[in-house]
Amino acid sequence: MTVENLKALESLNEFRLTDAEEQKAMDVFAFMENEAAELQSIDTENTDVMVHCMPMTNVFREDVREQAFTRDELLQGAPEHSEDSWIVPRLVK
Amino acid sequence: MDYFVTEIDRAGTVAVDDTILVKGYETKAGSHILDGFVPLFSSDAVERLLKAGCTLRGKTHTGEFGLDLVGETSYHGVCKKADGTLSSAAAEAVAAGEVKQALCVDVNGAPRRGAALSGVDFLKPTYGTVSRYGIIPTACSGEQVGVCASDAEGVKEILSVIAGHDGKDGTSLPAEKYEYSADKDIAGMKIALVKELYDASEDAVKAAMDAYSAKLRKAGAAVEEISLPDVKAYATAWQIMLSAETCNNISRYDGVKFGYRTPTYKDIDELYVNSRTEGMGFTAKMNVLYGSDVLSKNRYMSCYDKSLRIRRLASEKMKEVFAGFDAVLCPAMSGASVAEYDLAETFEKTAKELLFTTVPNLTGIPAMVTCGVQLWAAAFGESTLLSIAGAMERSAN
Amino acid sequence: MKYEVVIGLETHVELSTKSKIFCACGGHSEANEPNDCVCPACCGMPGMLPVTNRHAVELAVQAGIMLNCKINQYATFDKKSYYYPDLPCAYQITQWFHPICTEGYVDVPTKSGTSRIGIKQIHMEEDAGKLVHDDWADVTYVDFNRTSVPLIEIVSKPDFRSAEEVLNYLDKLKSMLRFGGISECEEGAMRCDVNISIRPEGTEELGVRSEIKNMSSLASIERAIKYEVARHTDALERHTETLVQETRRWDDMKNRTFAMRNKETAADYRYFPDPNLMPVVVDDAWLAEIKNSMHATIEEKTAEFTGMGLSAQDIASLVSERKLCDIFDAVVASGRKPTDTAAWILTDCAGILRRGGKVIGELDIAPEALSYIIGMVDEGKINRGVGKKVLSAVIEKGVSPEQYIKEQALDAKVDESLILETVRNVLTENTKAVADYLGGKEKALQSLFGGCMKVLRGKGDPAVIRELLVKEIEKLR
Repeated sequence: MTVENLKALESLNEFRLTDAEEQKAMDVFAFMENEAAELQSIDTENTDVMVHCMPMTNVFREDVREQAFTRDELLQGAPEHSEDSWIVPRLVK
Repeated sequence: MDYFVTEIDRAGTVAVDDTILVKGYETKAGSHILDGFVPLFSSDAVERLLKAGCTLRGKTHTGEFGLDLVGETSYHGVCKKADGTLSSAAAEAVAAGEVKQALCVDVNGAPRRGAALSGVDFLKPTYGTVSRYGIIPTACSGEQVGVCASDAEGVKEILSVIAGHDGKDGTSLPAEKYEYSADKDIAGMKIALVKELYDASEDAVKAAMDAYSAKLRKAGAAVEEISLPDVKAYATAWQIMLSAETCNNISRYDGVKFGYRTPTYKDIDELYVNSRTEGMGFTAKMNVLYGSDVLSKNRYMSCYDKSLRIRRLASEKMKEVFAGFDAVLCPAMSGASVAEYDLAETFEKTAKELLFTTVPNLTGIPAMVTCGVQLWAAAFGESTLLSIAGAMERSAN
Repeated sequence: MKYEVVIGLETHVELSTKSKIFCACGGHSEANEPNDCVCPACCGMPGMLPVTNRHAVELAVQAGIMLNCKINQYATFDKKSYYYPDLPCAYQITQWFHPICTEGYVDVPTKSGTSRIGIKQIHMEEDAGKLVHDDWADVTYVDFNRTSVPLIEIVSKPDFRSAEEVLNYLDKLKSMLRFGGISECEEGAMRCDVNISIRPEGTEELGVRSEIKNMSSLASIERAIKYEVARHTDALERHTETLVQETRRWDDMKNRTFAMRNKETAADYRYFPDPNLMPVVVDDAWLAEIKNSMHATIEEKTAEFTGMGLSAQDIASLVSERKLCDIFDAVVASGRKPTDTAAWILTDCAGILRRGGKVIGELDIAPEALSYIIGMVDEGKINRGVGKKVLSAVIEKGVSPEQYIKEQALDAKVDESLILETVRNVLTENTKAVADYLGGKEKALQSLFGGCMKVLRGKGDPAVIRELLVKEIEKLR
């Protein structure tokens, strides 16, 4: 991990670290990169991925409409909203 | 010590941690970024508790998104035991008799460590037996709601209430109801002691393990040492998945729809960046950064895909173990106590402790902490865990 | 040098389900106001979990069958991460690793014959929300009604060699998917990303590619392709610029494309399998069930109608809308003659709609009502003119034909003596017409007949009226 790459990751994830935090993050990356490198010695050539630890298939809901919440309830906790929408700073200038 | 971030009913007997939604009560998962978030519905587990006539005492402190050792990264502050060392608020509340039981989300073993540190029981059931509907998600592929209580009977009582199929959770297993017992005969049971984990623990823990093994033998169970040579790789694989899934799940907290929004911004980029910078602690951010890295194009195959394959190897390995044994015995963590420490170290400290707690999260099997030690069983082997724990607890009295 | 244009399309189509793909909210097309069809899941609140809508999968599979695709027996849902205010969770659930359909094709008619366009894959995903920018208040409003509406993305191979092929392909997709009940394909519900490059004619290697994002109007697509071909050609011939692989957007006002800023396009989407959604396995039994439940294709329906003796023009009109075929089929199934039914729909209904400024595609009539009216006319209980009047009332006012006929007493039996009396009166009052007729002007009979009909106000069997009229007038010879 380089500082440049770290800053790119911060930007991709929409936050900033302080300089001290970046220093610490570099240590953590070095630590985890070591750990991850050890994984490579494990032979997984003939092993498929396992996304779900208790696998099932075809879990569905039927195509039924239900409106259990009102717009007002959902907007209630919004940091900024109009009577029918969430509000953010104008995107297209 | 104040165990609760939100009080619900002083007469209540069950606590839930702050990652479990209770309709109408602010829920923050220990994070500033969820300031003011009041859920519009309760989790399935809470609904089942209320339907069964249980009353909720309040919501206990949890570390930010449950990513730390025992809750020390909570935005509300650290929970300390009387001697000044750390434990989890839920386990302490149970130990102090403030509540009979507590529900906690187990994603990285934190509730198990808390139970070990406070001398109470915690059981993380088989993945898919308790609905995850209504819990604040971090690592969906391995997190599960578990029960903390002072003894096995107390765990069983609540687990029987909250377990069962829920159509609102697509990973919920089909069984409508589970019957658990805590009094199966343990004489003749075969219990495997994991050499690598025993060796990795401190002397105080080894002593507790030795004492527990001796008691098990006395009760007629056989304890044999086994080896899980790749257990460290399992822990790394789970750390990779845990960070990646967390990164993805907590990216929704951006100051737009609910929760905390920075007071200073002039465009959407600043709104995002400042809200998230101010709203999340270092450990959460560190998980996001690492999780983002392992999912990136260049690292996906060597890290994330590799980890998904290691999950299968771990799962197969545990099937093999449980073909010969009824349960596995191992420490719940490296030491017997946790002193206060610099929270910049949380990610690494927690990553190291995953060695002891990963296998149940990674492979979905149930795990139980009791008398300061940890037991694992095959999927749906909760009754085995409860019975071993129950027998040992009864013999202690 | 002569250049060949190479185009590939990614076409997003909304599926016609009642509810969203991963939650039970209704689709956005039914919403009147912003954020009418939302729940905690579609506004990014934590705690709800996605559960896949079975019907959305079935529609995606049907689309795959229509486009001659391989239906994969193992499909997954995966997460794609990026930040934008219309994406409430900051991830979109899509199918990255294992899409539901792969390797198909569609034959597209062109001036010079037919072009076969390869389909690389069809995958399912959830739509994003809608943003409304307000210049006055200097804010953007966020509307999550469309969030999580099911989409399929149809990814073509780079097989298009002209704008004509692109437009005809989109036309064909639209009519196929509409007719098949897969998608309404309403305005804006079908959106394209156009990948375009040029290369010297006769060469194989692909040129530098531009991707024009999010196009929804055919006219704009055509203009954008023309613009890009000219821009690429200028770059290669006259070195006006160095082409780079990039994402561009079309500006309809300025009539040109613009490169999108880096941040919008350089994102690493960090795809990974969604742990909350189990794989979809379309086994042979389910596939057969899905096939059975499919609507007939336009080609199949055309063949069926041809067998019923309908004219080619009537058939073309009927198959322009699935709804017309459904009405036609139901009316015919109730025992009415196919040719009559076609005439009632395509002449009478169409005429009534046209009068109200509507087109036949907007016909909204219960097949039972139409069948009832046709039956009343066939049985002679009302005449055709009255039938048409009833039809107007049914279409325009939504009344029940049975009740309307009763209320207006349109089916009242007209006494033969009343007809006879009317005929005699008309003959007495129109001596000139009578004289004309008797003098050999056969046409005069028509005006006398019209006179009788007018007096009787449309009631009475026209055949009976005519018969009596002729009998009475002949008596005057």
